[in-house]
Amino acid sequence: MKINNLKKHIFRKFRSTQSTMMVSFSLLMVLAMLIFLFIALRHTREVAFENSVEATTAITKQVNDNIDSYIESMENIAAVVANGTELSMYLFNDEKSDVAETTNKNRIISQFNTIRDSRDDISNIAAVADNGKYLVNDGTDTLSDYVNIKNQRWYQTTLSSKSGQVVSSSHVQNVIPSSYKWVITLSKALINHQTAQREGVFFVDLNYESISDLCSRNRLGNKGYVFILDELGNVVYHPKMQLMYGGLKTENITGIMESDQPYLIDDSGEDSIIYTKSVSDKTGWSVVGATYASDLLKNDTQTQMIYFVAMFLLLAGVLLVSSFISKEITRPIRDLKDSMVLVEKGQFLEASVEVTANNELGSLTKSFNSMTQQIQNLMEENIHEQKEKRRSEMKALQAQINPHFLYNTLDSIIWMSEAGENEEVVLMTSALARLFRQAISNDKEEVPIREEIAYVKNYLTIQKMRYKDKMDFDMRIDPRIEGIPIIKFAIQPLVENSIYHGLKLKEEKGQLLITGGLEGENAYLEVSDNGVGMDTETLNHIFDEKKNDYKRGGVGVNNVQRRLQLYYGADYGIHYESKVGIGTKARITIPIERESL
Amino acid sequence: MRKKNRANLIGIGILLLALVTISIYVFSAYRKEQEREREYHFIFIPKTLDPQNGFWNSLIEGAKLGASENNIKITIMGTYSEGDVSGQIEKVKEAIALEPEAIMIASTSTVALTPSLKEAQAAGIQVVLVDSKIDEDIGASVVSTDNYKAGVSLGEYARRFLNGESQIGMVGHVQGVSTAIDREAGMREGLGEYEENIKEVVFCDSSYEKAYSLTVEMMKKYPEIDMIMGMNEYSAVGAARAIRDLGLTEQVKMVGFDNSIEEIQFLEQNIFSAIVIQKPVNMGYLAVEQGFHAVQGKKIESYIDSGSVLINQSNMYLDENQRLLYPVTTQED
Repeated sequence: MKINNLKKHIFRKFRSTQSTMMVSFSLLMVLAMLIFLFIALRHTREVAFENSVEATTAITKQVNDNIDSYIESMENIAAVVANGTELSMYLFNDEKSDVAETTNKNRIISQFNTIRDSRDDISNIAAVADNGKYLVNDGTDTLSDYVNIKNQRWYQTTLSSKSGQVVSSSHVQNVIPSSYKWVITLSKALINHQTAQREGVFFVDLNYESISDLCSRNRLGNKGYVFILDELGNVVYHPKMQLMYGGLKTENITGIMESDQPYLIDDSGEDSIIYTKSVSDKTGWSVVGATYASDLLKNDTQTQMIYFVAMFLLLAGVLLVSSFISKEITRPIRDLKDSMVLVEKGQFLEASVEVTANNELGSLTKSFNSMTQQIQNLMEENIHEQKEKRRSEMKALQAQINPHFLYNTLDSIIWMSEAGENEEVVLMTSALARLFRQAISNDKEEVPIREEIAYVKNYLTIQKMRYKDKMDFDMRIDPRIEGIPIIKFAIQPLVENSIYHGLKLKEEKGQLLITGGLEGENAYLEVSDNGVGMDTETLNHIFDEKKNDYKRGGVGVNNVQRRLQLYYGADYGIHYESKVGIGTKARITIPIERESL
Repeated sequence: MRKKNRANLIGIGILLLALVTISIYVFSAYRKEQEREREYHFIFIPKTLDPQNGFWNSLIEGAKLGASENNIKITIMGTYSEGDVSGQIEKVKEAIALEPEAIMIASTSTVALTPSLKEAQAAGIQVVLVDSKIDEDIGASVVSTDNYKAGVSLGEYARRFLNGESQIGMVGHVQGVSTAIDREAGMREGLGEYEENIKEVVFCDSSYEKAYSLTVEMMKKYPEIDMIMGMNEYSAVGAARAIRDLGLTEQVKMVGFDNSIEEIQFLEQNIFSAIVIQKPVNMGYLAVEQGFHAVQGKKIESYIDSGSVLINQSNMYLDENQRLLYPVTTQED
């Protein structure tokens, strides 16, 4: 039951104007937010992508610059040694004495050592001549017996290159036995001063770490990295070189080498990669930044989540505020509605609504108030008119005194006078006079039962004298009810009815009894006779106006009944009981205290 | 009134739907994010932590690469000797206690490790067998060199130095381990009709010294031996040192498995005619990857061959072989 009520309550809430407004606001808000979100996310994504490409470009450029300056510093070192005459003399001058050669050699070796000691990123320094003479590191190292240095690509390109100076890709240095280090070889062609021809190569092996250190520091996002390709597309450095060699990882190297765009998107893998490339003029190497789309996406999801959470909170706020606002806006409407319910019930006095708003609703309220006022006035007028109408109707009703009665009575008086029955004439005339005085004496609708009984008594006195042999009457009224007011001329028509329709038609002398008393909250007056009685058909139609006998111009019982019910309400009035040959009983019931209608 | 009422209900429905959709989206995005950022913990147990052993160093390096690629925290546990089977069992127990998501293990024994690995599996840990198989088919995946295939290629290569009178000696690493069994079987297959020329198979328990002394003894016993086949780095290098020291490099041709600087030098010096090198970096990487896939519930292969290459003097200086012979990552200054 409670739940049902609650349901009803909630249901009612949902169909109020307030909630309609709220829901509409919120829907619009959601829609607007979603559109905004879509645009914002798109834009954020684009910006993130651009930023990422920009940042990666900057990083690759930076790495390239670092490598260039590093290589340049190495080249400077190499140039000092390679361009010195001592090396050329040692390698190419055969005529020199052993002693001179040894001193020269020692001088060169000490130069090599100085360089090697000062730079821990140099793993080998060596000079090799085509004629087979060479110097490696501190002079004790030899060239490998198994690998011919002249077959090495870096050696050959050094001699054939225009500048005579080459930076190799990363490779295993296998010309010096027991070394097998991954290095980058910076080589410079040596010129025999005597022939002015390139007849040897001076080279410095840079530790692979020197390059990898420059790159590995640069992480791009979570998974991104930097790698280096030489001008042929060979991998110089890659953080996952080992996996590439094992065939477990590939990069779109051809794509990168061929692309002249600022960036290249590779969608071939599980995760698409954005390559950004920076080419060095000095080394010819391409520093490539690889950024994973998932890293960008990660920021994207974060942004999305922030946006969504913000939207959620905003929405909650909007719901709250809009519920408040719509409640405020619709309050006059609700007031009007409540007041209309009162009007429906007829409670006009409480129905006036206070005008709070100075808008359409305010004027609506004003109109409503004046309308209610007018209705109230009209209702009051109507009630007043109804009252007047009833009063005049009553007046008209009570004014109907049977003219036959008057005529018959006067006739009786004449007959009695002619017969010299003076006493009777006086009695009858005085009774008639009292009767008439009572009938016209006061304007009031109600009289105490006492007066009404006295009136009936006068009437019966006259009738008794007229129908000497026909009737007798008796009255037993409880003195407690004598003061109770009753509408005028309520009993007399019943008595008249009893006489004319009951007793008069009877062969022998009849008896009329009027009793009165209390019955609960009500008082009753009963007129009973032992006349001819009525059959059921007559009884059923006793209050019908049409069936009534107006021949004698009397006041019908239906008239009394109408007046009683008009005055006291439908619960009160006359009740008839009758049996043919036995008699009729008419009983009037009225309240002791009349409720004002 | 009724119409308005329905419109309101629909409106509220849409509103709720929107809110629910958004919350589901945010929630799932959050979950995905968490899943992505979730750091697994794997434990890798090689046969040995011997820092001199290039094979295992490369394997560990490969495993670390695989871990970093997939945002996995990897712990390397192990003993310093391949022969320390009980020590490895201890390590497995320790590893189980650490409750990792997966254990990658190169079992030092085909039988002894089985119970403890079953225990690990029962504890909900994914087990990936690396390099060596065990007697029972447990574990999510096996990642190893196809040792039989590698043995066959080495046996076939050795045939060119053999004739009917040849005598062959084999130096194995640990008797009973799957790699030794498979390699020996492969070599016997590759040798074909010369299989019956095998005079002796000895096992050095992965010790240079023992391989050395066993080879010396074998040469005393069978002075006519002209082919020695080593089954892993320890056995091959130990045998080669013996042959070099005995001055028998002219008489005895040698082939072997695995690589190290010393082994490569023996190859350069023509003491070894050929070596079969595995791809330990690949093996370690693939093992971790398989473990990662298993943990994620993805489809995994029950067996992965990480591959092997036969290296001789004529192809050892090729770029691609150089990269395998001298791993970049394991170099120390």
